[in-house]
Amino acid sequence: MFAKVLIANRGEIALRILRACRTLGIEAVVAYSEADRESLPVQLADEAICIGPADARRSYLSAPAVISAAVVTGCDAIHPGYGFLSEDEGFAEVVRAHDLTFIGPPPGVLERFASKEGTRRLMATHGLPTIPGSGMLRDDLHAMEEADRIGYPVLIKPSAGGGGKGMRMVRSRRELESAIKVCRSEAKAAFGDDSLYLERWLEDNRHVEVQVAVDRYGRGVHLGDRDCSVQRRHQKILEESPTPALSDAARGDLAERAVRAAVGAGYENVGTLEFLVDAEGHAWFIEINCRIQVEHPVTEVLTGIDMVATQIRIAAGEPLGFSQADVTFRGHAIELRINAEDPEHDFRPSAGLIERYLVPGGPGIRMDSHIYAGYEVPPYYDSLLGKLIVWGPDRASAIARAKSALDELLIEGVVTNVSIHQAILSSEPFLEGRMTTSLLDRVGSAAFLAAAARA
Amino acid sequence: MAKLGTTGLGEIEVREGTWKVRLRRPDGSGPWLGAGRRATDRPSRAQPGHEGHGHAPGALEGHRSARNPATSHSSNGSGPSPAAGRPDPAPARPDAPAEARRPAGDPHRAVATSPAVGIFQPHAPAGPGSRVRAGDRIGLVDMLGVGQEVVAPADGVVTGILVEAGDAVEYGQELVVLELMTRTSAG
Repeated sequence: MFAKVLIANRGEIALRILRACRTLGIEAVVAYSEADRESLPVQLADEAICIGPADARRSYLSAPAVISAAVVTGCDAIHPGYGFLSEDEGFAEVVRAHDLTFIGPPPGVLERFASKEGTRRLMATHGLPTIPGSGMLRDDLHAMEEADRIGYPVLIKPSAGGGGKGMRMVRSRRELESAIKVCRSEAKAAFGDDSLYLERWLEDNRHVEVQVAVDRYGRGVHLGDRDCSVQRRHQKILEESPTPALSDAARGDLAERAVRAAVGAGYENVGTLEFLVDAEGHAWFIEINCRIQVEHPVTEVLTGIDMVATQIRIAAGEPLGFSQADVTFRGHAIELRINAEDPEHDFRPSAGLIERYLVPGGPGIRMDSHIYAGYEVPPYYDSLLGKLIVWGPDRASAIARAKSALDELLIEGVVTNVSIHQAILSSEPFLEGRMTTSLLDRVGSAAFLAAAARA
Repeated sequence: MAKLGTTGLGEIEVREGTWKVRLRRPDGSGPWLGAGRRATDRPSRAQPGHEGHGHAPGALEGHRSARNPATSHSSNGSGPSPAAGRPDPAPARPDAPAEARRPAGDPHRAVATSPAVGIFQPHAPAGPGSRVRAGDRIGLVDMLGVGQEVVAPADGVVTGILVEAGDAVEYGQELVVLELMTRTSAG
């Protein structure tokens, strides 16, 4: 096991990793930018080291700064969290070259799954159905030909990265022509890689993902599924488990196929296989996320397994230590991403001083957050203030607890998206378990808010 | 503990999206590979940041000061002391005068800060007592074998170097204190 870990991230995930290190008896050093000097993980860390200015390119995204910080503080591993350098195989390789361990899949594994388009093909050979799509697009003409072959509407997707950047759904050749340029430049700006591919667009799809954990010795388990269909512009805002989209038998089957394919394809460490489930209930593999995910607590409260600790142990070369039979799922869990953004004004981000902050409590309530009263939310990074995770013995009671917890949650000083969560939790499509990834955008967040206000 | 400096690679190219950098290890046992050398060996984290931030929760201050080795080595043992129980190869040195680290508001002083996280090396010709001009190189911070220049923020005379050669420093850490010269006297 590691003696000392550098946490190369910020916000709630830096704190979450710090807590995992504490329980494992590992010393933790938090690497931070100048803008995060007063943040909670920095204050609670065993040791903290400033690695650069607010600009993430010179701090959290700077491989030399992060690795130098790990070297001078005597760390033996680096936890990249999510986002930033978490899935960068080049970074993982340099980390290893400095005799440090990258907490995540080994560099070679990251490389194997680096291209989304390549991963689609690889996983198809391991028995996962993939959505009809193109190979890597050579040029605009190739894109047109492929789109004609697949049939409109199609989704333009960057082969690198995630988070909805560089992604567009187009319904015609004309839309494709203009959108492809935008996608290319967005992908280039966000990931430094403008390679794109196409996928057939599934109307009314649901986003269901399977969490897997595979140790270095090829032993893997699945830790169930998560439904992330509640999205706004390809950004997940609420996740739940188990998915209401599939029957217990179908969920179990999907999870088993996912872990079999992950092990077969040589995946290592914790990872998430993402699927789109169409209106007929068919699940199509879309991509694998080689990192700890924002929504991992949903799985933790359902299984009782510490995902971050599991990730660290696997990276340290420890065997998984439990089998599929040991993994049990209890009740229903929902995670609400509390963002500093204003639903009344097109979700524009809000930054500033948190004047008051009261955390909800009671049975089945967990809040993962790095904020506190007096904390200044910096304007430089994503707007995630924290995650409210609720558990209930069944979906209805989890929803009831979520509503009650949201009522208790008090954040003053910045505008939050709490109102959209309240609206979703009271909306018919959600209550009936039939949210699809495009519903919020198609109906409009404003309509959800208005409906909730009338109720 | 990581065995630092045992990496077999002398040089590696990092591609980071839009940029590319060649990382080179300094040859031999460069000072940055000194066993047991830790960031916490530095005199202090920058303290001035706390003042004027009355909103920092008091309960957290204990943790913060626990990271200050000056505190954790000498007085309270409440906080985790990363260096505890391990021999410190660096000889103890007197702490730099506290006021030298807090020149904020002093119109006669300026402080050069670290441009990177790495290992500090002073620039010999810019030792205490030397006159420097704004922009002059007064030190170097070695970040994984790539030197980042520490430059004089103003015209002045070097009056103090706050860290020792070979010390680990963080980004923005105060390194060299200058007594300012007026424009006329500098000319």
